[in-house]
Amino acid sequence: MSITGMRRTGTGLAVVGLLGMMFVFWLSFFWVSTEASQGVAQRIFYVHVPAAWTTFFAFGLCALTSAMYLWLRDERLDRAAVSAAEGGMIFGTIMLTTGPLWGRIAWGTYWTWEPRLTLTLLLWFIFLGYFMVRSSTENPEKGKRFAAVVAIVGALDIPFIHVSVLWFRSLHPQPVVVRPEDGPALPGDMLTLLLTSLAAFTVIFLGLFMLRYALEGLRRELDVRARKVAA
Amino acid sequence: MFRLKSVVTGLGMAAGFAFGAAVLVAQELPGNALATQSLRPYWHVFIAYAIAIALVLGWVISIGRRLRDVEERLGG
Amino acid sequence: MSLYLDQIRAIIWKDLLLELRTRERIAAMGAFAVLAGVLFNYSLDQARVAPQDVAAGLIWMTLVFGGLLGVGRTFYLEAQDGAMEGVLMSPAPKDAVYLGKTLANFALLFPVALLILGVFWLFFGLDLGSNPGILVLALGLGALGFVALSTLFAAVSSGTHMGETLLPILVFPLLVPMVVYGVGVTGRIMVGRPVEEVLGNVRLLAAFALVALAAGAVLFRFVVED
Repeated sequence: MSITGMRRTGTGLAVVGLLGMMFVFWLSFFWVSTEASQGVAQRIFYVHVPAAWTTFFAFGLCALTSAMYLWLRDERLDRAAVSAAEGGMIFGTIMLTTGPLWGRIAWGTYWTWEPRLTLTLLLWFIFLGYFMVRSSTENPEKGKRFAAVVAIVGALDIPFIHVSVLWFRSLHPQPVVVRPEDGPALPGDMLTLLLTSLAAFTVIFLGLFMLRYALEGLRRELDVRARKVAA
Repeated sequence: MFRLKSVVTGLGMAAGFAFGAAVLVAQELPGNALATQSLRPYWHVFIAYAIAIALVLGWVISIGRRLRDVEERLGG
Repeated sequence: MSLYLDQIRAIIWKDLLLELRTRERIAAMGAFAVLAGVLFNYSLDQARVAPQDVAAGLIWMTLVFGGLLGVGRTFYLEAQDGAMEGVLMSPAPKDAVYLGKTLANFALLFPVALLILGVFWLFFGLDLGSNPGILVLALGLGALGFVALSTLFAAVSSGTHMGETLLPILVFPLLVPMVVYGVGVTGRIMVGRPVEEVLGNVRLLAAFALVALAAGAVLFRFVVED
């Protein structure tokens, strides 16, 4: 797809996704029934869970495209990787801020070392390193390779982190852990809303991912042009 | 670029309106279940939603700005 | 195969000889280990906290921080006078260079790990528990996993203009599982739990070290290429 096409599709998807998100907000305020045991705070899940899913999806995409970039050395794969990483940081931040807001009501404390929360926190820091490495080399090509290495090692580390945080939690059991997605299936309207929200977040991510990708492509064009002028 | 900007502004206003409406509705909810509860969970929900929308819109605006920047330099 | 091993051995020998002549890194790490022990002594109110209960975590923290001190400088000397180009232009494949460097770092860090254990034993009168052999094994595997990751990322960070300041930001999040497993082993052995209880964690430490070594050996060439 050309850069212009990417841009157009990206804008379209972003607009649809944002409208979908507004719709999800509206539904979660005025339509969905309140969960019996957790009350109102459970509604945070309609942004938290989709944000978490998008975060993991984005970081997976980033690690995959990074590995392919090191292999094939196609500039476009690196563009995709950096775009996905940026999205992962944004949605990871949403996940990390909304989780504690829910936890304060449900568990009585802002932060717990809940496995998935911990995993996301560490991922967030791994990708902070990704951006720091990328921006601190004189030669941008080198920065891209370094960042790809960070993303790949980060992805390889995920299973270990997952096992360790699960194990660590079994050492310090939480007093009350109510996790709706582990319980019996969600009542129909809640499930519908959660799935709608998942779709909206995914579409937003894809749209913005494409826009970000187009941006990186235009930057490349700018570089090429500047080099031509210099030569 | 104008289109994106107006879309963003429109969505921002819609979000603000939704929050405002939701706050009003929340305060008028029947008292049976809520009389004993504080409004704190509502605030947490609103803050969470506000953070989500603010970060997403922030990303939209930041990409939009950078795109405009690059395009200006490409055009000029 | 034997050529490959010879190449690895040559790199290890070169690094250890350099260290033997200057003794910079081992001295820094050793001094850090002892000083950390002294500082921990004053930062713990021993009337309230039994050192036995917290020593496992402190030992691993000292290992990680002290290790970064030494491993962070792996590529420092060679970057200074362009000797790295020489090493990389040698017929040795890049993964042999990485494995050599990593094992040389391990040869430096493992004694430091034992020193840390000794310092804590001496300063806090620790009871090393039911099976000191497992403690040493866990520290060894931990040190191996640590050098495998941090040698790779030392190469990354020495290629940036942030240098060694970047290294902890890159490796700490990745090292969390290793520290969790390691503290699990050390803490349990120190309170006298049976060995069977920690074998799973020891295996995970070994798996972590192996995956880190393999990933480093594969990815190192992308870090040092021009």
